[in-house]
Amino acid sequence: MVTTVPVPASGPAGAGEVVVETRNLSKVYRDFWGRNKKVALKPLDLEIRRGEIFGLLGPNGSGKTTTLKLLLGLIFPTSGDAFVFGKQATDVSKNARIGYLPEESYLYKFLDAEETLDFYGRLFGMPPAERSRRTAALLTMVGLANDRKRQLREYSKGMTRRIGVAQALINDPELVLLDEPTSGLDPIGTREMKDLIIDLKQRGKTVIMCSHLLADVEDVCDRIAVLHQGELKELGRVEDLLQVTGVTQIRAAGLPAAACEEVRAVLARHGAADIEIGHPRTTLEELFLEVVRDTEARPGRRARSPVTTATEKAQE
Amino acid sequence: MVLEQEIPSFLAWFGPACLSFVLASIFVVLFAGLASWLTQAAQAGPLEAGDRVYRGVLSGIRDLVGTSPGRVWALARLAVQEAIRRNVLMVLAIFAVVMIFAGWFLDPTNVEPMKLYVNFLLSATSFLACTVTLVLSVFSLPADIKSKAIQTVVTKPVHAGEIVLGRFLGFAFIGTVLIGVMGLVSWAFVARSVQHSHTLDATSLRELRDEEGVLTGYEGRTGSAQDHRHFVTLDASGNGLAETFRGHRHRITPRESADGRAYDVGPPEGILEARRPLRGRLRFLDRDGRPAAKGISVGQEWGYRQYIEGGTAAAAIWTFGGIREQDFPDGLPLEMTVRVFRTYKGIITEGIHGTIQLRNPINNLRSEALPIVAREFSIDQLWIPRTLAVVLADGTVKEADLYEDFVADGRVEIWLQCLEPAQYYGVAQADFYLRAGDGSFAVNYFKSCLGAWFSMLIVTSLGVMFSTFLSAPVALVAALSMLLVGQFREFIARLFVSQVTGDSRDVPGGGPIESLYRIVTQMSITLDLDPTPAVQAMKLADIVLLAPMRVAAGLFPSLATLGTSDFVANGFDIPFDLLAAHAAETVGYVVAFCVAATFCLRAREVAS
Repeated sequence: MVTTVPVPASGPAGAGEVVVETRNLSKVYRDFWGRNKKVALKPLDLEIRRGEIFGLLGPNGSGKTTTLKLLLGLIFPTSGDAFVFGKQATDVSKNARIGYLPEESYLYKFLDAEETLDFYGRLFGMPPAERSRRTAALLTMVGLANDRKRQLREYSKGMTRRIGVAQALINDPELVLLDEPTSGLDPIGTREMKDLIIDLKQRGKTVIMCSHLLADVEDVCDRIAVLHQGELKELGRVEDLLQVTGVTQIRAAGLPAAACEEVRAVLARHGAADIEIGHPRTTLEELFLEVVRDTEARPGRRARSPVTTATEKAQE
Repeated sequence: MVLEQEIPSFLAWFGPACLSFVLASIFVVLFAGLASWLTQAAQAGPLEAGDRVYRGVLSGIRDLVGTSPGRVWALARLAVQEAIRRNVLMVLAIFAVVMIFAGWFLDPTNVEPMKLYVNFLLSATSFLACTVTLVLSVFSLPADIKSKAIQTVVTKPVHAGEIVLGRFLGFAFIGTVLIGVMGLVSWAFVARSVQHSHTLDATSLRELRDEEGVLTGYEGRTGSAQDHRHFVTLDASGNGLAETFRGHRHRITPRESADGRAYDVGPPEGILEARRPLRGRLRFLDRDGRPAAKGISVGQEWGYRQYIEGGTAAAAIWTFGGIREQDFPDGLPLEMTVRVFRTYKGIITEGIHGTIQLRNPINNLRSEALPIVAREFSIDQLWIPRTLAVVLADGTVKEADLYEDFVADGRVEIWLQCLEPAQYYGVAQADFYLRAGDGSFAVNYFKSCLGAWFSMLIVTSLGVMFSTFLSAPVALVAALSMLLVGQFREFIARLFVSQVTGDSRDVPGGGPIESLYRIVTQMSITLDLDPTPAVQAMKLADIVLLAPMRVAAGLFPSLATLGTSDFVANGFDIPFDLLAAHAAETVGYVVAFCVAATFCLRAREVAS
């Protein structure tokens, strides 16, 4: 998933225009006799604006997928309203501007990749030539061009996820809803998926994703809503929510050990508490990706640690 | 051929059928609306529930109106791809096995092999196609909902009605292909199975001579083919017909060969036909010659045929209308099936003698009696010539013209009487007809396959409807139950009529309450109840109970009524009026089930 699909620009949109809005949206699952079985979502008020990457964050059963399904009209609210592009969520006409990637890429296993995209393209009423062009471009984008004639039942989980992404983008949607987008992907696939999400934002799309993988959300989202037990617990910009205001961080490359002690003394002199000076850790994701990249660049040789590489770069 | 009810013209049928459709639709809409309102009211209160139901109905109508042919086509293609990749066409292999078994085990020595072959193969075709599409339709949507693949469809700009219609059309296409292939193969099988030829050895024929020794003809038997032989009677020139046996006969023509005279036996006649009958109306005269509402019942429970007593003035009279000289310029080709009830055995190998007469319905002019011999299990043919003899009151005989003297305003009466005392002729209205022409057997077979096709369409739409709100196994049982109840549709309709008119002869035993009363008191259904106020009240309550049952009965399709294989098996052309009525009925059911399915699918959450 490295190629960018040449797509026509999205329709004109006013910056900051509200794309999704919920008012007192709630969902209670009931049993056959109408008795309350589970409160999946307590009254929720949200506004998501055009061009945002919005993350719904929470542990399993927190109500994030329920929120997504309510926005898509897959389930009906017990109370309150959900509006997408100013229309009720149950209005199917809104779907023409939406792309949806479900959690498990629930697709028709008896179709091959090409047939799958052609089928979904037909549902959008796309002309044959455009369907064909979009299908070829999307299959190339998700790296399935060579497997386009294989039935989906033969696909691995990662490949199924990729074709799921392709079907979600077949109509060049203005709003993309992604349910656990990195679920089932290896680290490379995860990174490519995150790059894709960011690319969508850069092309003016609005993205709503729900995930319980905190790092993924942190990497790509502009704003997040944290849900727990069906209730909204936190809402705001990622950098605002994650910023630790009482702590100052200093980063420097190539600092000798003596200088480190000097810095520590200066900080202590200014009354700083809990001073920590050491080497930062990279993430396991970064390490893995660097190893893969290095192995591909220098086949047959042991990969160099990304930390070492960083030090070398600093010394240069 | 048994034809219990007269086939009305399509236009005469259409009006009452539309009324029934509208009544049943109103019944369903009111029932569904009330059920929806009660369900919503329990959760949101009566006013909010009313608003929700109103908005649901409105958006449902908008949904149906906004149906896109392109999306329906895409979903239909998906259904076809799904069916094909699940190897549904393997059912053709099953049909091949059925054909093999038919070839092995169907008895070629049967009295009426055509009926056996046609009924068996058309039933197999209909059964297999309906079973396949029913299973496909009830399992497909629940499987999609379970696998959640439906979520990627409904999150596109797809209306519920398009999902329903797409599935219906896709599976109907599969059913159509199956019926097409199976129909073609079975037609070829039938045509090939009944075709045969006999040999006729000239040396085996016996000469017939009159008292003066003049050669008048020959008689003998054909060689054996398909386990049967025919008696033949030839004229002096060697031309003639083999006697009808197993529903067919052969034309025999002589030819000269090096060894002398030889005979060619033609292909079987009387099978692979599609007769177009012109039927009349039947009335009876009793043994004293007075008009009677019915003939005599000879004690058979199923009173399809009524009997007339031999050697009396009893007669069965058919009045034929619409007879035009340009249609029958040379005379009237009368074909008849006359059953015989013997009170003594007589000579069992010989038929029972009777007469046919023509009568002018206006001036009562009657032709001289034409003799007939009634044989069981065969269609007798009688050519009524253009010129007929008339016996005048003074005993003189004069010649009369068919159209000038007997046909009045396009109508003519044909009288049937039995000559032998203490023997009876049994007839029904459909038993006498004028052969107005012949259609193609292949086309007739195709028309009968349309009956199977109509059944398949109804079954498919029914399966799709139930699959929108039930799990697959439950939907299958529900669809089968509905089809089973549909078999009693006509009975409920007749029961209602009998209750309203008070004429319980057709359906004795009464409505639900009266039936219960009779069961509890162990009273026979043939005994009339005393008309006490309590009994009157009970009958009234039965009518009130039966009225919604009568309307609801129309909701249940009766596949048996769509079957037309009897026409083909008996060699009759399937009337256009009947076919058109079946087509309209099918359209009515399919539209109703698809609309119901759309609302059911809209009302449910496809995710959980």
